[in-house]
Amino acid sequence: MPAATATHCPYCALQCAMTLDPASATAGEQGFPEVAGRDFPTNRGGMCRKGWTSAELLASPSRLTAPLLRGADGAFREVSWEVALDRMAGEFRAARDRYGNDGVGVFGGGSLTNEKAYQLGKFARIALCTSRIDYNGRFCMSSAAAAANRSLGMDRGLPFPVTDLDGARTVLLLGTNPAETMPPFVQHLEHAREHGGLVVVDPRRSATARMTDDGGGVHLQPTPGTDLVLLLGLAHVVVHDGLADRDYLERRTTGLDALLPVLNAWWPERVEQVTGVPAALIRRAAHLLARDRRGTYVLTGRGVEQHVDGTDTASAAINLALLLGLPGVPGSGYGTLTGQGNGQGGREHGQKADQLPGYRSITDPAARRHVAAVWGVDPGDLPGAGVPAVELLTTLGADRGVRCLWVNGSNVVIGAPDSGAVARGLQALDFLVVCDFFFSETAEYADLVLPVLQWAEEEGTMTSLEGRVLRRRRAVAPPPGARDELWIMAELARRLDAPGTFSPDPEEVFEELRAASAGGKADYSGISWAALDAGEACYWPWPAGAGAGTPRAFLDRFGHPDGRAVLVPVRPRAAGRAVDPSPRPHRRERLHAPGTLTLITGRYLEQYQSGNQTRRVRSLHEARPGAVLEIHPATAAALGIQDGAPVELTSPRGRVLVPARLSTDIRPDTVFLPFHFAGDQTANRLVSSAAVDPVSSMPEFKAGSVTVRALDPEEMIR
Amino acid sequence: MTTIRPARSAGAPMRPGEHVVVVGYGPVAARFVDDVLGLAAAGTIRLTVVGGEADAAYNRVLVGEHAMGRAELSGMALSDPAGLAASGVEVLLGTEVTRVDRARRRLRLTDRATGESRELGYDRLVLATGARPNLPVLRGINPDPGAYEHLPAGVTALRDLADARAVRAVVERRGRVVVLGGGVLGLEAALAASEAGCPSTVVHHAPWVMTRSLDAPGGALLGRALAEAGVEVVSGAQAREVLLDEDRAFRGLLLEDGRTVPGDLLLLSIGVTARTELAEGAGLRTARGVVVNHELEADVELRVFAIGDCAEVLCRDASCQVCPAREGRGPSGLVGPGWRQAEWLAARFHAELDAVARGGTAVLEPLTEGPAAAVRLKAHQVELASAGTVAGEPWEPRPDGGSVVQWADGSAGTYAKLVLGPDRRLEGYVVLGLPRAAAEIGLLHDRGEVLPQDPSVLLRLDGPDAGGEESRLGPESTVCHCAGVTMGRIAHAVDEGACTVEEVSCATRASTGCGGCRAAVARIIEEHRGVTV
Repeated sequence: MPAATATHCPYCALQCAMTLDPASATAGEQGFPEVAGRDFPTNRGGMCRKGWTSAELLASPSRLTAPLLRGADGAFREVSWEVALDRMAGEFRAARDRYGNDGVGVFGGGSLTNEKAYQLGKFARIALCTSRIDYNGRFCMSSAAAAANRSLGMDRGLPFPVTDLDGARTVLLLGTNPAETMPPFVQHLEHAREHGGLVVVDPRRSATARMTDDGGGVHLQPTPGTDLVLLLGLAHVVVHDGLADRDYLERRTTGLDALLPVLNAWWPERVEQVTGVPAALIRRAAHLLARDRRGTYVLTGRGVEQHVDGTDTASAAINLALLLGLPGVPGSGYGTLTGQGNGQGGREHGQKADQLPGYRSITDPAARRHVAAVWGVDPGDLPGAGVPAVELLTTLGADRGVRCLWVNGSNVVIGAPDSGAVARGLQALDFLVVCDFFFSETAEYADLVLPVLQWAEEEGTMTSLEGRVLRRRRAVAPPPGARDELWIMAELARRLDAPGTFSPDPEEVFEELRAASAGGKADYSGISWAALDAGEACYWPWPAGAGAGTPRAFLDRFGHPDGRAVLVPVRPRAAGRAVDPSPRPHRRERLHAPGTLTLITGRYLEQYQSGNQTRRVRSLHEARPGAVLEIHPATAAALGIQDGAPVELTSPRGRVLVPARLSTDIRPDTVFLPFHFAGDQTANRLVSSAAVDPVSSMPEFKAGSVTVRALDPEEMIR
Repeated sequence: MTTIRPARSAGAPMRPGEHVVVVGYGPVAARFVDDVLGLAAAGTIRLTVVGGEADAAYNRVLVGEHAMGRAELSGMALSDPAGLAASGVEVLLGTEVTRVDRARRRLRLTDRATGESRELGYDRLVLATGARPNLPVLRGINPDPGAYEHLPAGVTALRDLADARAVRAVVERRGRVVVLGGGVLGLEAALAASEAGCPSTVVHHAPWVMTRSLDAPGGALLGRALAEAGVEVVSGAQAREVLLDEDRAFRGLLLEDGRTVPGDLLLLSIGVTARTELAEGAGLRTARGVVVNHELEADVELRVFAIGDCAEVLCRDASCQVCPAREGRGPSGLVGPGWRQAEWLAARFHAELDAVARGGTAVLEPLTEGPAAAVRLKAHQVELASAGTVAGEPWEPRPDGGSVVQWADGSAGTYAKLVLGPDRRLEGYVVLGLPRAAAEIGLLHDRGEVLPQDPSVLLRLDGPDAGGEESRLGPESTVCHCAGVTMGRIAHAVDEGACTVEEVSCATRASTGCGGCRAAVARIIEEHRGVTV
């Protein structure tokens, strides 16, 4: 093994390039590799403190190092891999015999490598023969993905390299806070900020919103749940003030005639009355976006996407970009900032309930034929579309639901909506297997916990937020008892007499993934392992035989058969709709009922996702030991809440106990909680899973109704 | 929840295959058509729209902007004729409905261009005939509503595209515009005309403009803002006569006190009256509009409904929980309430058809009357929002415990008055020149939310310190959030000899993430060296 290994950060989708040196003097002192920033276009050697401290976890004393099986007494005991895998295969078989194929479920994650994500989808379909597979990206990228597919015909988060933003003069950031969630990304916004062109939409004056201070740009602070209307207002001004690119619309889009009537109904003063954003500010922002449209970018994040109208909201953002003539033109564009490390690759290769590798649809006969041929099975043997994550999780242990579940790289007890109900579902299962490297909150509910590899212990590929495929490399040997998921799947497939091959070797799996993706939207067939190893810039789609990949998509045509982008006439769902008889309606719960506040959730710089990793890093824990409720002083005063004092948040789903921090950065009608924390601080206990987006099945993470009250300190202790 | 109760009335709920005819094709009709389009496209209902104007539905709210050259026609459409045709909707433009025969459920239609008439049957009739501009009693103008199309040249209201074209002709040559009526629409027109370069004057009968929405100080400060925006206001003035030249074109407005306001265009902006003739002729009850209950029914047979400016919701059911006020309102002239009615009626039809399919009863959230619709002046130069009633003074105690909050800054021309009920919810407000405050106060009013204990929080939103939390850096303050580096550590690095940001970065990792703290680090180096050296 070479002394220093070039790889990428384990955490977010920016995938900052880093070097891990296990042989350095510092490494010798501290017992884990020394981390150094590596020059790379996306991070240019920079990293945030999560990246700098990431190697600490390679020597963590709380690392899982042997399979843990729960005994009849409820206690976990270490068992051999042989015993663990035999038991797991046996439980899978038993559940299939008893409940049918769909009695077994698989839950994946956006942090798994491309090879694992691909193999997991394949394993579910042909080794378990179940349709019940989905993953935590459903809670993350599904709305943006659905909108991009609908409007642009292809979903690549950023259809251009991140470095294209360096020349931007105006950037619209919708519901995204990269200054906290991916700090090194922010250097690419500096040019726009210098030109006063940052337009940040966030109900909170976030770290990113603060970048608009001192002439950096404009911060629009809408009340939660009204982003769609705000976007219609911006588009209205673009159309009405003659800022639209008529020539582009004529040449490259369809649907303008149906869109205009929708936009015409949302003039700025009316938008102000819904969003709380002054009409004059809406006009100013729209003119900023249009002032020099060859340097304008529109970027969305989870803040506008994680809603029951998230797909429509992302569509409205794309419409705005199309009206300005941005997508598919060098030096401008639309994109979504993917969150999880492999959130992009993880949504392309078959972890989704309705999807086969290469971003193919599982209901498309041609796609089934192609993939079945690669897998060496009959297309008729592939199951059909399963159910999306929220529905999958609500069927746990239920009649005709999933009775035996395998969770990979996901901590649903923290991350899923209505997490209290999810935990009850996990308890109701016949058998739960959790793969992780630390004992997560979800593992607490498991019957079997399998220790797997950390990023620096494995080989594989990741696809970053800009659609570039990157090599993840092994820098240190894993602990003796931990195993790669690919090996686990190979062992299980053998025990289950599965058809096809399940290689434990990442390079072999990648070769198979290339073949399976060939001809699909996310075509990796031209990307060789050798090219990745050589550090070539490999952007998908890169079909075999093409000389190069696609750093910039849509330059000649969009992904629809006619090559045009579609303006989708989205508008807010009408009030006073007939009561939706479907089990999972598509309307958010009522906000602003007397005595309630609107809860939004998000991230701290120092923590990542469910915190299962970062909460174990000492310096990160010390910096952010727990969740704190952000609340406006005027709101707090009316509720008798002091700065730093404990408060209780309740919703019909559950309650959360945290200290309060008073801040005028937040709207008086809104409160903010981070979602990284466990126990009484689990923000997602409050979040409803009762309604989902009709297209993406995204639940409403970012606008929930809660009541907040001051607690006596003694109550807090109890 | 409201259950649509067919048992209560003589009528039956909607069934598949019925023919729905919409009379009128303005914004409210367009919204209704949009919401039932799916039913028509699926063949569940047959849908016909009859519009009197030659143009398909467009946004009347933007007619003024169009007249002033600010909005193009393409940006005003509220319907997509091709899309409607593709969904199988029949759209009859330039067609007048001249008679409703409720017994036979047939309409008489007249083509306005050819004068030809024919009949059209219906199962459900939705009246969305809107309102027409009021005409003043002035010498030189025939006040008969039917005479609207025979006004002298240069005298017009601003209601439809034909009006807009007339106004636009004057605006394009920078003619002088006289607006009769200082209500919100009149002021918007005057401001837009002024912005377009036309000298403009508002003639208003009361002591201050927007009389119903504003109190005296608010009116006075608004008058000042208008003057600054180039709009002259002649208040407390009674118009007597329209002065015409030899071509019978408008030349000026003669006031009762003998003054003359000269101009090339007289814009009439003195309110609107619901178009109820058709309903009256059909024997339906009318008052200030076609009278409907809160389920928008104009008849007991559930055959005729009315929505938008032509409708007046006047509930006759004494036990009704939805309409506690039981007080009808004439046309509001605002599109928001009409759109809500359109959405609700469409939802009702959906629910009834769903119920047929499911074999149950239609269940629907009731159409509640929202708080008094807010008035938001659409103008680039003046920021004004108001709603409800703004009577009362801060120093006058109210027996019910309500109170008044007031702010006025004569130098900045800003004004805010908030009238709070006993529960600290807003009964009315006016906010001038404070755009962020206006937006937030508008939300509080619309949602019926309780005002903060200290309402000045809202006014400060427009101040330079809005949301600002500038804290002074101490040694424990984090300067570089990305790498978690404190002021103290940076100072220490400088003490150890680091002189540049790069050297500090090397020693502390500060500024290696987003780079946003580079300036702060540089400042610390400078300050610190200044102190220690």
